[in-house]
Amino acid sequence: MYLSGIKLFAFAFALLPLQAQNPIGGFESHPAGAKATAVTYLFPEQITIPADKPSPVDLHFKVAQGLHVNSHTPRTEDLIPTTLSFPDSAAVRLAKADFPPGADYAFAISPSEKLSVYTGEFIVHAEFIAAKGEHLVEAKLRYQACTSDTCMPPHTIPVAIDVIAK
Amino acid sequence: MVVIAVVVFVLGLLTLAGWANWQNRTQAAARLQAQQAQAVLVADDNSGSLHMSSPLVGKPAPAFTLTNVKGEKVSLADYKGKAVQINFWATWCAPCKIETPWLVELEKQYAPKGFEILAVSVDDLDKDDKTQLAKDIAGIAKGAQNLHIDYPVLIDGDSIGKPYGDVDVFPTSFFINRKGTIVAASFGLTSKDDLEANIRKALGEEK
Repeated sequence: MYLSGIKLFAFAFALLPLQAQNPIGGFESHPAGAKATAVTYLFPEQITIPADKPSPVDLHFKVAQGLHVNSHTPRTEDLIPTTLSFPDSAAVRLAKADFPPGADYAFAISPSEKLSVYTGEFIVHAEFIAAKGEHLVEAKLRYQACTSDTCMPPHTIPVAIDVIAK
Repeated sequence: MVVIAVVVFVLGLLTLAGWANWQNRTQAAARLQAQQAQAVLVADDNSGSLHMSSPLVGKPAPAFTLTNVKGEKVSLADYKGKAVQINFWATWCAPCKIETPWLVELEKQYAPKGFEILAVSVDDLDKDDKTQLAKDIAGIAKGAQNLHIDYPVLIDGDSIGKPYGDVDVFPTSFFINRKGTIVAASFGLTSKDDLEANIRKALGEEK
């Protein structure tokens, strides 16, 4: 009985790493049924800032692997820029949003036509002004994503931040 | 007592392993969903060109009537007896801008043989605001003019996206033969040669 218990323990211990291994590789987990988006808002989910004063907040986003989105300042007018918008609210205002410069990108078949894009992680340096109290801000990031061959329609994701102003 | 403790510990480990397995399956499902959302393309033949197969190939092209940028109604049925390429594009689509000059050339080259291209714009239209709608249409017309498109440019492509298989990556083209059957589809930026091969297939000139 004692030996059987040890064998069972050894079997379970050997099984654990196999079960835990992801056969496909790492990828951001999404709630069941949710469609993956090209851009994910990473953090912060909650901030504490002084009330009624412009306060710097760095908003972190991640573009899914294999995709790019136009930067805030694409090279031509007809391309859709990445933008951040705040709901009309007296409680929390977006005083400033500095987007990073885009990186050069060209489609393989047309290397001379450079685009200005974000890939991987990018940070928007924002400034919030909040009235005293706790506020849930539901900002929005609009972007237009492409792969190396195709483009997808513009899309907007929610950027939810719990703002505590003291 | 020790045996009971070991058994409880092992059961705990098995539960943990089961939970880890469920987590991994959830992540794998999410990854598959993401791949679909991103329309990842794969090379599927010796040409090395990128394709996604369409279940519409071999079937009759879904009928539609749309409006062109001049406000005129255009139906697919108007092109009965011709080979037609339906090209879903948008003014904001960078690969479409690379592809369009090829299409302009190919349309000129093959039009005498009975080939037509219908550019179907999927640019957003604000149908609730007439002033904005007029601006939206003018923007599409300007975009088409900048690309020297001289074949029909139709608007409100989203309204026919569903029968064409929920078109959500651009550029996307369907090639229709003279009998109205879809003979090929291309998703994403391929090459002028690939486009020409599909046009020839639609014209029944396949090598």
